[in-house]
Amino acid sequence: MATETQTQNVSVNNFEQCLKCSICTVYCPVSAVTPEYPGPKQAGPDAERYRMKNKAFFDDALKMCLNCKRCEVACPNDVHIGDIIQAARIKYNTHRPKLRDMMLANTDFVGTMASPFAAIANPILKLKPMKAVLHGVMAIDKHRTFPDYSSRKFESWFKKNAAALQDKFNKHVSYFHGCYVNYNYPQLGVDFVNVMNAVGYGVHLLEKEKCCGVALIANGMPKQAKRQGEVNMTSMRKAIAQGHQVLTTSSTCTFTMRDEYDHLLGIDNHDVRDSISLATRFLYQLIEKGEIKLAFREDFKKRVAYHSACHMERMGWVPYSTRLLRMIPGIDFVMLESQCCGISGTYGFKKENYERSQAIGKGLFDQIKEVNPDCVATDCETCKWQIEMSTGTPVMNPISIIAEALDVEKTRELNKQ
Amino acid sequence: MRFDVIIIGGGLSGLTAGIALAEAGKDVALVSAGQSTLHFGSGSLDLLGCDDKGNDIYKPIDAIATLGEKHPYNKLEDVSGLAGVAKQLLERAGIATTGDANVNHWRITPIGGLMPTWLSMEGMAIVQDPDQMPWKRVALVNIANYLDFPTKFLAAGLRERGVQVDVKAVTVPQLAQLRKSPTEMRSTNIAKVIESNDIINDIADKINSITGEGYDMVLLPAVLGVASSENSKKLLSLIKMPASYVATLPPSVTGVRLQTQLRKRFNSLGGSFFPGDQVIEGVFENNVLKGVKTAKLDGTTLEADNFILATGSFMSRGLKADYDHIYEPALGVDVDDMGLDRKTWAKIDVNEAQPYMEMGVKTDEKLRCLRNGTAINNLYAVGSILSGHNSIKLLDAAGVDMLTALQVANNIIK
Repeated sequence: MATETQTQNVSVNNFEQCLKCSICTVYCPVSAVTPEYPGPKQAGPDAERYRMKNKAFFDDALKMCLNCKRCEVACPNDVHIGDIIQAARIKYNTHRPKLRDMMLANTDFVGTMASPFAAIANPILKLKPMKAVLHGVMAIDKHRTFPDYSSRKFESWFKKNAAALQDKFNKHVSYFHGCYVNYNYPQLGVDFVNVMNAVGYGVHLLEKEKCCGVALIANGMPKQAKRQGEVNMTSMRKAIAQGHQVLTTSSTCTFTMRDEYDHLLGIDNHDVRDSISLATRFLYQLIEKGEIKLAFREDFKKRVAYHSACHMERMGWVPYSTRLLRMIPGIDFVMLESQCCGISGTYGFKKENYERSQAIGKGLFDQIKEVNPDCVATDCETCKWQIEMSTGTPVMNPISIIAEALDVEKTRELNKQ
Repeated sequence: MRFDVIIIGGGLSGLTAGIALAEAGKDVALVSAGQSTLHFGSGSLDLLGCDDKGNDIYKPIDAIATLGEKHPYNKLEDVSGLAGVAKQLLERAGIATTGDANVNHWRITPIGGLMPTWLSMEGMAIVQDPDQMPWKRVALVNIANYLDFPTKFLAAGLRERGVQVDVKAVTVPQLAQLRKSPTEMRSTNIAKVIESNDIINDIADKINSITGEGYDMVLLPAVLGVASSENSKKLLSLIKMPASYVATLPPSVTGVRLQTQLRKRFNSLGGSFFPGDQVIEGVFENNVLKGVKTAKLDGTTLEADNFILATGSFMSRGLKADYDHIYEPALGVDVDDMGLDRKTWAKIDVNEAQPYMEMGVKTDEKLRCLRNGTAINNLYAVGSILSGHNSIKLLDAAGVDMLTALQVANNIIK
């Protein structure tokens, strides 16, 4: 009898397992720079006990949490501290999102609107008067520059230049490109298609792709996030039914769809989760099994410093990207000390968070300046904006580095069946 | 993914083994499920502090010769030699210590006790002989409103030993801000605020202005130097009186520094550190461990020639207890439960020696783990997960961690 009671007494997000050891506080990037933030232990498992009694104990300061999950990586007892905090925001927050937050969160809607006008929108968004308006009216910090909108969406490029060539391959994957690749940086998607094609895989888009929803969750729009997540799951199920893995080139999209859908939004993704993978992981695993081979250009030389994006670290997948990169003979690889860059998606764009965001990332920026690499490699697009803005060092996704270093002809030969 | 050696557990024992092996040119990966008990560290490392009756030990190397036969030190080839190697390994990682294995010195606990110890990190207050306190008049200076440094206990402990103690507190505006969230005024946050605002000079001025002349020691909470000892040394150098640090209640800045510097050293030697992942299964073939599977790297087996289990005891989840047995959850290796049934695992009086503290994994003379009674050729155990000693009563935790790790590294390199 006692056995049953005890072993079945599993608390949501493991919060009963908290020993109150405070180790999470040591690794919280916000707690260190913001005395107003109650810290992960207090905001998470401690206050959860109170909130369960009375929702009046919900504290607005929880919105200062970056959702970086570094508390969870540090926790010796596997308490899902970040999930507890984000779940509390979803459950108890009564404020409606501001216009600014809605705009920042709706990355695909805004991208759709901006892309056709990219030639006009990009320079305008960089103008001082425009930044002043955004800063003053919209509370988007004046130090930030929106990532350029691309005049041609990745999807349009793909349909025109690549789609017709994909069916000739024997093996196939589906690609969840994400908003960033589609509206801001189609080149990463092009690089991905080139690498996959070189190793003998055809690439296909999902029937319908919506923004993964990470920014919607962060900005208090969980219902919309859930609707979009359901659309993605439906499309992915169809792709998986055809035998495709669904690959991404963004650690945060991947993390959101694999873990946050279930933990925070209540989307049933159990049948899809294992088929969603990061491209670097997919490639690494195939190389390890001996199913594909990569050949690299002899003239490729680059000093690359790898930054472990928070959600990449939480997924535990850093080794896939780093060991893949280290296969390139001409790479001078440096592993940066793992810490948050401070941007956390839309968080750092908000006027009220700018200083905090830069203070959080300072240690990382100093490290990068000291290492002085040709480029920083990271699997997260918003880390890219933050690091490029704060250090001036170019930042590349590992897939783009692989694409640049790849001897395409040789690789194609090696992977011919 | 293939490595020469895979270490499971990222605390003191795992990192020591990892550094020693990486220094010998091995390709090492270390899988760490959450941060380690170093975060509760004292700023000192103990080798053997007390005998089984609770008496302080003055000469640890001599006393080790008299330990019971189950103690892990019996599986070391040269305790004294390994203790020297451990001190040098710390030094190479940027961690300077005082002390040696032949003679213990005493550290001051956050609640005012004296404990025998082996190595103390630079800047920590130490006492060479507990019967002869080195100070007559001490200023005990806290950061105002910092609660993890119980000055009343500390002062009482020192006064009991004949030291005259004046308790004082200082603050600067940046530190007073920290009280906005009272739960967050923690040692590591204080350290980060002081270091990022560059206010060490301001704090030193405040301390100098309230201590004046006439003290032969200024004792401060160890709240500086998360990443290196640079800033903690700087503050001491700016104080006009002799000054040193006393450990605080957790989290421990000196412990975090030890963890950080060891991990950085491991990384700089080319070691691969996998944080926040957990080994959940071993792939055994006959008496050989071929690989391990982790919770996060699903679909990938981590393979190596040798493996080291360094997951710690019950507190670190290296050992688990359920209703009828004690077990090792990662690889299912044999555990020595001393033949006790559940009712006798623990004593009711919490201060008594707890039998469960001596439980741990069984190993052969080379510190190799047993599975179903047979030694696994390439799987070793190091640190707190080893059976046969009570580290709380004997004060031998850090010594067992580092020395067994170095012995196993030697066994593997041979």
